[in-house]
Amino acid sequence: MAYLSNTSVVVDAILTNTGRQLLSQNDGSFQITQFSLSDDEVDYTLYNPNHPSGSAFYGEAIQNMPIIQAFPQSQEIMKYKLITLPRGTAALPLISIGYSSITLAQGASISITPQTLNYLGATSTFEQDGYTATIGDVRVTAAFNGVGINTTNATALNATGTATVGTNVSKTVIGTTINITATTVNTLFGSNTTLYTTLTVVGNDSGARLFVPLQITKTSK
Amino acid sequence: MSYTQLAPSDFVISSDSITAPAWSSNQPQLSTFYTASTVTSTTISQGAFYLNIYQLPYTTVGSAVQFSIAYGDIVGSGSQWYNNLVPGVSPSLTTYNQYSTLVYGPEISGSQGFNFGGAALNAPNIFAINVDRNRYKQSLLPGTFNISLTGPTGQVVTLCDDSNNTNTVNYLDCGRVFNLVSGSYGSAVNITPLSGIAPGYTASGSYGLFLPDIGTIILNPGALALTAASGGIGLTVDRANYGSGSYTLNASASYTSTNNTLLYQAISQSANFQLNSQETISSDYVFVRIPNAAYNYSSNPTFVTGSGTGAVLYSTMIYSPQTYITTVGLYNNNNQLLAVAKMSVPLVKDFTKEALIRVKLDW
Repeated sequence: MAYLSNTSVVVDAILTNTGRQLLSQNDGSFQITQFSLSDDEVDYTLYNPNHPSGSAFYGEAIQNMPIIQAFPQSQEIMKYKLITLPRGTAALPLISIGYSSITLAQGASISITPQTLNYLGATSTFEQDGYTATIGDVRVTAAFNGVGINTTNATALNATGTATVGTNVSKTVIGTTINITATTVNTLFGSNTTLYTTLTVVGNDSGARLFVPLQITKTSK
Repeated sequence: MSYTQLAPSDFVISSDSITAPAWSSNQPQLSTFYTASTVTSTTISQGAFYLNIYQLPYTTVGSAVQFSIAYGDIVGSGSQWYNNLVPGVSPSLTTYNQYSTLVYGPEISGSQGFNFGGAALNAPNIFAINVDRNRYKQSLLPGTFNISLTGPTGQVVTLCDDSNNTNTVNYLDCGRVFNLVSGSYGSAVNITPLSGIAPGYTASGSYGLFLPDIGTIILNPGALALTAASGGIGLTVDRANYGSGSYTLNASASYTSTNNTLLYQAISQSANFQLNSQETISSDYVFVRIPNAAYNYSSNPTFVTGSGTGAVLYSTMIYSPQTYITTVGLYNNNNQLLAVAKMSVPLVKDFTKEALIRVKLDW
């Protein structure tokens, strides 16, 4: 009989760029209140349920993988969250916004109402806590906001202005509907006719994630 | 659900005291000393006030300032007056008053000056060894300071702080203060030199002050100037009044302090300067508790078949899913990712396993 190990796993954390920004604001927004887990880097096709050595070795190719160090870009890490679902779930939640990509002309607007498929036994549902939407470069929009979730935190986040000072800055909003209006400013285009960025939508209850390319096309001279 | 609220009991704040050798590359003993190319200036500049000391030749990659030497004089002797119309006001006077204010505070320093416990209450001059901030980090560690000084004719004295001989720590305006005595590793020698006031002390009092909280060591030139029998090394500083009478220098005269170079040579010849730094690192520990029924499925795109239906990749994963935790994210109430930690190896999670991960945030 061997002793059980009672040691916990200790890992060192780094601040993300968002964490540094909120810490520098010194307005109380840097307050850790919750955690989430992800399996970034893991490719489940390496999981082998037919491994000749048995079930203890199904995940052999994953468990031996060396992990890359953390990087501070909050948009590029914690992409694939682990989620809590009832045992026996055969299909995982999916986000649907009705578009596989979004193209807007300068000044044009679009309202997106995400739905979640395969969640809590429903074929399609709107998540109670809404959706978190993050645009990679907020400069390409004249307006980017979320509506429909009126919690204090969501209202505060949606009211937050984004001072870009000409730099590429992401913006995150919460809502059941996400409104986007493309920029009318020509300067950002330079000699290009299209601006590219991304929109990431995450279900606040399900943790399901959708990544959609977003293009703004230049119309004025 | 992909977020779990943390309870107040999940946060623990810890402060750990870290001590390490002060010098570059964690060398416990600094034995080589270099200065930048000779600084001779006919105008008021850095060289009139202090001399930077490096552990490697100045131009060598990795060379860094280890400490600085400055000379202060209560009547401005030993350096060129700023203006001959204002007698006695010179860089050495500025230095003396600067450290006097720093150590004793403005209430006392205006009239008193440095006191090393000798016959003369006001020591007329000082040497200051100012350790570079990157070297001492937060404070100097008492009991680790040892320095040997060699005089012009070869006399050597080894000095240390008296922290091991002190039951009650004394405080001045600069924080903790210890006397410098002849000895090693915080303990004075048992020998009282000729006319000395106590073992390890000279007739001029202590050899100086060890001020760990401001990373500074004050040396008493009066003690160093004594003969070997009296506990000194015969180090005689230049106390001429450059600016008056026969000492008046012309416009080409150097403002560079020769006294700083004098102490540099005394330190360099002995090749023994030991010092440890001390800092307190505050860490936040966040205990991430993962129950057996949580986080057993993944939004990873490879966890599903890719058919657009969300079906899990393998049928065995419907009732016995396995996930692999690689990353822990810490969020605020707005779901903004504030800090992130990576595991060293993927941590297997399924319905039969619970996990406790301790995340450490250093400040």
